[in-house]
Amino acid sequence: MRELASENSRKYPERLVSRLVAQLRHQALWDSLSYFSPPLLVIIYIAGYLYHGAWVGSLAALLMTLISIGAGILAVTLRYRPLVPSASKASRLIDERAGAKDRFLTLATIDPKRSPPSLIARLRLEAGGFLDRIELRRDFPYKFKKSCYASLIGSILAALLFHLLLPVAHSTLTSLLPAHQRLRELAEKMAERPRLIEIARSLQTLAAKLEDPKVAREEKQALIEEAQKKVAEQQKKEKQKDDQDLLGQAASTLKNLEQQSSAGKDQQENQEKGGGGVQSNLPQEGQGEGKPSPGGGGEQKGEMSAEVSKDMQQGKTAQGDPKEQSGEKNSQKQGDGKNNQPDPSKPDPNKPGMEKGKDSAGKTQGGGDDKGGRGKASEEIPQGAPPADRLHQAGEQGREGVKGARYVTVQLPEEVVAETKGEKGGNKDAKGGRVGSKVPVSNVPLPAHLPDAPTETQQMPLEYRGIIR
Amino acid sequence: MEPEKFQELFHRLESEVSKIIVGHDDVIRKVLIAFFAGGHVLLEGVPGLGKTLLVKSLSRVLGMSFKRIQFTPDLMPSDIVGTQVLAESDGRREFQFKQGPIFAHVVLADEINRATPKTQSAVLEAMEEKQVTVFGESYPLESPFMVLATQNPIELEGTYPLPEAQLDRFFFKLLVGPPSPVELKEILQRTTGAENAEVSRVLPADGAELVGGMKQLLRQVLIAPPIEDYVVRLVHATQPASSNGNPTASPVKQYLRFGSSPRGAQSVILGAKGNALAEGRVHVSYEDVEKVVYPALRHRIILNFQAEAENVNADQILAELVKQVARS
Repeated sequence: MRELASENSRKYPERLVSRLVAQLRHQALWDSLSYFSPPLLVIIYIAGYLYHGAWVGSLAALLMTLISIGAGILAVTLRYRPLVPSASKASRLIDERAGAKDRFLTLATIDPKRSPPSLIARLRLEAGGFLDRIELRRDFPYKFKKSCYASLIGSILAALLFHLLLPVAHSTLTSLLPAHQRLRELAEKMAERPRLIEIARSLQTLAAKLEDPKVAREEKQALIEEAQKKVAEQQKKEKQKDDQDLLGQAASTLKNLEQQSSAGKDQQENQEKGGGGVQSNLPQEGQGEGKPSPGGGGEQKGEMSAEVSKDMQQGKTAQGDPKEQSGEKNSQKQGDGKNNQPDPSKPDPNKPGMEKGKDSAGKTQGGGDDKGGRGKASEEIPQGAPPADRLHQAGEQGREGVKGARYVTVQLPEEVVAETKGEKGGNKDAKGGRVGSKVPVSNVPLPAHLPDAPTETQQMPLEYRGIIR
Repeated sequence: MEPEKFQELFHRLESEVSKIIVGHDDVIRKVLIAFFAGGHVLLEGVPGLGKTLLVKSLSRVLGMSFKRIQFTPDLMPSDIVGTQVLAESDGRREFQFKQGPIFAHVVLADEINRATPKTQSAVLEAMEEKQVTVFGESYPLESPFMVLATQNPIELEGTYPLPEAQLDRFFFKLLVGPPSPVELKEILQRTTGAENAEVSRVLPADGAELVGGMKQLLRQVLIAPPIEDYVVRLVHATQPASSNGNPTASPVKQYLRFGSSPRGAQSVILGAKGNALAEGRVHVSYEDVEKVVYPALRHRIILNFQAEAENVNADQILAELVKQVARS
């Protein structure tokens, strides 16, 4: 059989070219596969990992896998096609290897019907003499290409990077999502697991309630706590890692929600206690140096309160006049902290000496009682009375509690309060912006009242002077 | 005819001519290839290098009729092709055609660039059509017919450079260079001694028929389509506007005014076939093509003024082309 094959190949040496083409085609296919397989495997692995870690649903993971397989097949085909050698290229390789001076090229590419048979036969005979010099496996072995090594290394690196960057990316992404949406996503993932269906339902309900502005805060808080309990119980029962991961995510989300909710509640309470109105820490005539913001030094639970106080301390609230801001800063410096207390031995030209003792007492009160600082400050301001009664009148000594007030606190309308509380789960920047813009809290120092001072008149803008006389 | 027979005869012709001509083996081979391909050869070289001797020797070994025409400025076309003369026979006077020296198998047109263009053009029809027309009557030339023209590249005063149309008729343009010291010594020994070497006739008496068979075999030589494509690409690359219409794309192109005609490609293919047969092969290889591309194309590409000014010759440009054009 072997002899027959050998005789055949001697008779038709051009068949060697066909064999080489087939061999090179296989090599090209293997090249393309080894080039694209590592990245494809990495993508499939990532899809599987994301699915098992409950980052994506089964459908998304399946789609990801199918798309990547399709793209891989397409890429392999596109790379493989140009690598497949033509008969002329393969025959030239044989000619070069055997030193056959283009005999195989001529035999492989010429049309025998249009050529003199005697010359073709002679050429075949000549080419047959070179067959001994060629052994396809020896002369054209498969070599693993550098590009394949690069692909393999690159894919491994990509997988490692994925493992390193996934937690970072996840934390960034989840912080961007609203809590109820996160809960909803978790619920959807849990719904795919039979053992977590019940928790999934409760989370769905909770997400719906959280979205609903009509639902009372207390009710939301209760629902969150209930869901937390359920999740904790299920966590104890659950042994499967994937489910535990899901439950862990749900627990942390609920914890965040709870913290936000309680913080919002605190703030509401503070506001309710403060009764709104206007609170000022402007140094008033006859009252001496004002005490610092009652809530400023305190460690607030609610982020919003903290923000407000921070803003107040930094003078970031909406101010009309920059001059006033700087003036206020100066007054804050005087009032902030114990180190900034004015030297009692130095008489303050703006304040009568008898007021100094009261001032220092006020400061101690504001700085020492951190947690309830804000509330106490609010208590100092009489609630329910019209602003004119609650604030100093010109020349008045002022009542206890109001004197030394250096900030103006405006009670928020109810809807603004509700909105602020509901959106506390958002990011810090958004919160800051909202507080700064929507909560009309100001630390504008009230202008010193001079009884004989002329009435302040606003100058008419230049463009109107000709029109209005 | 068998390829082996062709090779044997070819080698005998080469060796016989080599008895007289020292060196110039490549020139002898190319002249023989052109002869069996049915082409004409322009030999260029300074005087005294044996151009005329080469042609004479060749005609002798081939056993073909040989005529020599010394081209001078006062040479008339009728001096080459012949003319009608008044002759009297049986008391009747009539015009009879008197054949010129062009009527021979091998014609040596010595210093062809010294004749006027009018006279040069008289050879045109003979070279291409293998016939001459006198007073409206055509006279076929004997087969095989070959014109071997010589020209001197240095004595250009009082010469008429061959027009491109006429140059294109030559199958090969061969450059006859000075002999090497060893060759020169051999020449001296052969020519200054008492003995004079003689060449013997290689082809038999019915040589024309044999030459016809050899010509036919040459045309049957196998050539692979990729090699044909290579020739096409090479010849096409000589066109100044061939590279996407941008004549300055390649440094090669900046020196060319006109590229080769299709006759150039024909010459390359036939020359390569002749070379393959001379080397005992029945198929053309890339090497055959590269060996004949210079003599086949060097007189068909027209250099521009820049090339003349920078002393760039056609062979340098062709060498660059061979480097640039990839084998398929």
